[in-house]
Amino acid sequence: MDHPAATTKDEEPTLPPSLRDPKKLFFQSNRLRRTIIFAYWALILLALPIWWYTTSIERLALPTRRVHQVEENRLELPIIICVDADQPFIDDAGKQLANRILQDSDRWKGVVVEVKDNVSCSTHDSPLFMGPIFNIPTEDGNVYTVRPTVGPITIQNRQLFLPLAEPDSATKLVDSMTSLLAPYSAASDPEHRVAQYSPHYRLAFSLLNEDAAAGDPYLDWQIEAGLKAHIYPIIRRLKTLHNFTIESQVQFHAPLAFSPVQIDDSYAITSEDLTVFVNSAEWTLSSSSSNDPVLHFILFIPSAARRPLRLLAHDGENDVLLKVLSKPNTTAGTPSISSAFLLPQWGGIVIHNPAPGTLAATELPSRDLNEAFSLFANQLLALLGVAVLPAGVVDMTEAVGLSDWQLDALVRRRTFENVQGSRDTLLSIVKLVDQIENMPVGEDVRGDVDDALEALNKVYELSRQSLYQAFTHSAKSFSLSSRAFFNPGMLALLYFPAEHKYAVYSPLFASAIILLVIAALREIIAYRRERTLARDSVAKPQLIMTGKI
Amino acid sequence: MANALGMYRTVKRLGIPDSNIILMLADDASCNSRNKFPGSVYANPGRFLDLYGDNIEVDYRGYEVTVENFIRVLTGRMDPSVPRSKRLLSDERSNIFVYMTGHGGNEFLKFQDNEEISAFDIADAFEQMYQKKRYNEILFMIDTCQANTMYSKLYSPNILATGSSEFGENSYSYANDNDIGVAVIDSFTHYILEFMEKINKTSQVSMQDLFNTMDFSKINSHPGVRSDLFNRPLDKTLITDFFGGVAQVEIVPPLDHISPIHDSEIATADDVQEALHVDQPVRSPAVSNTKLEKQPFFSLALPAWNTARAWVSVGIVGILVGWVTTKTG
Repeated sequence: MDHPAATTKDEEPTLPPSLRDPKKLFFQSNRLRRTIIFAYWALILLALPIWWYTTSIERLALPTRRVHQVEENRLELPIIICVDADQPFIDDAGKQLANRILQDSDRWKGVVVEVKDNVSCSTHDSPLFMGPIFNIPTEDGNVYTVRPTVGPITIQNRQLFLPLAEPDSATKLVDSMTSLLAPYSAASDPEHRVAQYSPHYRLAFSLLNEDAAAGDPYLDWQIEAGLKAHIYPIIRRLKTLHNFTIESQVQFHAPLAFSPVQIDDSYAITSEDLTVFVNSAEWTLSSSSSNDPVLHFILFIPSAARRPLRLLAHDGENDVLLKVLSKPNTTAGTPSISSAFLLPQWGGIVIHNPAPGTLAATELPSRDLNEAFSLFANQLLALLGVAVLPAGVVDMTEAVGLSDWQLDALVRRRTFENVQGSRDTLLSIVKLVDQIENMPVGEDVRGDVDDALEALNKVYELSRQSLYQAFTHSAKSFSLSSRAFFNPGMLALLYFPAEHKYAVYSPLFASAIILLVIAALREIIAYRRERTLARDSVAKPQLIMTGKI
Repeated sequence: MANALGMYRTVKRLGIPDSNIILMLADDASCNSRNKFPGSVYANPGRFLDLYGDNIEVDYRGYEVTVENFIRVLTGRMDPSVPRSKRLLSDERSNIFVYMTGHGGNEFLKFQDNEEISAFDIADAFEQMYQKKRYNEILFMIDTCQANTMYSKLYSPNILATGSSEFGENSYSYANDNDIGVAVIDSFTHYILEFMEKINKTSQVSMQDLFNTMDFSKINSHPGVRSDLFNRPLDKTLITDFFGGVAQVEIVPPLDHISPIHDSEIATADDVQEALHVDQPVRSPAVSNTKLEKQPFFSLALPAWNTARAWVSVGIVGILVGWVTTKTG
């Protein structure tokens, strides 16, 4: 008993005195302890901005005011019609045209038409117009000339030849003008057939044999020749509007997803089945190498077992048609003569039944190829929104494809669409950013919005001078505004209710912060007490001193 | 899973091509090793109809099915590299059908066991679609517990919404398949699909007829319909406006996970990963041994840094100890 006690007593003195008394431990000095606590707090306070920065969402200010300003602007594309006739006729035609515009203002929206006589036209524009013979006017697509002629109405470049001497020729002039300059009315695109504007399209041409194994397939086609004759001229004319990439393929086995109905000795596809004609599950129609929209063109060769395959005419109600078809003996539901159809915004399909004589050939005969490709060309024009020339107007321009009038009308239409689309998109970006509070707006979004606005303003500026330049800028503005809207970084952070935030932060921080706060409070209180003590001890001697004096 | 596949089969049968359907399946039940019927998914214990079939295109699978991806699909805010088939390429003339199923609760739906989408997120996504004119009309259908809360926050026009159960109610499954030990389809979806089986592409049945068939006694929860944002009368709105048709209609179904399989799936996936982790240390030395001589730089650089760090730390500790002892001494 004694011994161990003695040893501890012996050992104790060996410790330095500063370690024996906890109050005198050097690291228990007030200064050190306070420095440590202060360091913790300093760290937390310094980290606060970082925390704030990393958890806050970058929301740059968008040029809201400018967007709203642009919204108020109205795009006006001028059209000048120079008529080679005397003043009373021009006045009459002008009046009639103005009436027409009033009646159908939707159709003429954004177009300002001015009818002038030759003299004021030529002074208005470049000296090229001097003299009675003026050739191609400007490339701007806003000056058109009307010249007298005898015989049928013809167009050449931007000139319209029309018999002006007849009594009702003013009305005729206005009619032709309406259908040439503003060919698009609300009713002209009921099926929404026209594909949405895109600067790039891919055209995918496919020769599909329903079942090559059944016999008489076409294993090849001279697609280059077909493209050269029918498609390239159109593409060349449209190069200001779109860029095209062309791909083609031949398939030997492309089964239909339904079976055609048999009528007598031929087969037919009902109008309902037409909507599901494209068997997208089993036909690979286009490579997915890019994200450009694809227009498909299919030349479909029915299986030898199902020839001839025809389309049934759409005669009124679907029900009627079906009922008729369910009784195979009746002859209604007449096969239509056409063998081609168009899927709105998707592409065109031509069904080709090989003539019984051409059995041996494995390559598509050039006559049939030409037929198919001229159909494709028509379908392409329809899908791209090229207006059809009005009946009775003959195009005398040598270039194949489409006339300047049609091209101009299309460009005008696309310009309007783009400007409208761009405006709407910008407006909705601003609105959404306003509405959804945790939607980030990064540098690139703001840049795109700025650039889109810039381009849009350019459109307004240039609309008086050059239609084509205005169009280029409108396309740019539209694609920029879309890119801004679809910017992947703009995905709004997910919504978190306030409880979630408490649930995340309180276990993380509460445990640490509470201790720190208590320590800080304790130290502050201790420090104050020390201060008052010190003051007292300093003040007392002073009192004594004064007392002595 | 069978819920979503059933819807997929139905819209496809009604003439919507795969290119217009975006199918998101959170797990691959058909190829799961626990599935006794590999390569197929059945919606009923009798196994009359293989929903997986031979022609199915799953656009988002497994861990690609996230809230973020779903919202990206809806809003179109995609990385430029995402292929067309994974995008919702709709415009102002598209009718969109959104079907979601899984585990849900009050104003949320669980994704992948680790995140959830809330009713606010969906409402905001739809609003963004509306602003960019990405739809004409939307039919939003959801089959989860308390499903009706999910559409309560929608505020964009032209949306018709329907859900399987009210706030506080569960959505019950229709049938159990005892052979695989899993509930295979939910009753709400089951009865809708049953109704749909009678519909063909040219049918004139309206949405109102569909909603009229929903019945508490059959599905044990109160299905809800929200049509205040929708501005056509329901009896004039055809089923085929959303479920079938031609090129104009573009449909996005589903998203899905079914309860029992799902949980076990995650577990098995983890197991596999663990197994891999165990494997690696054994394997990698063997590989590095052979390569050690060829690449002295890489192999030496790292140990050098490690040893340096170790020595520096020892040094610091030594200095601290020294300081303390000098202070105390």
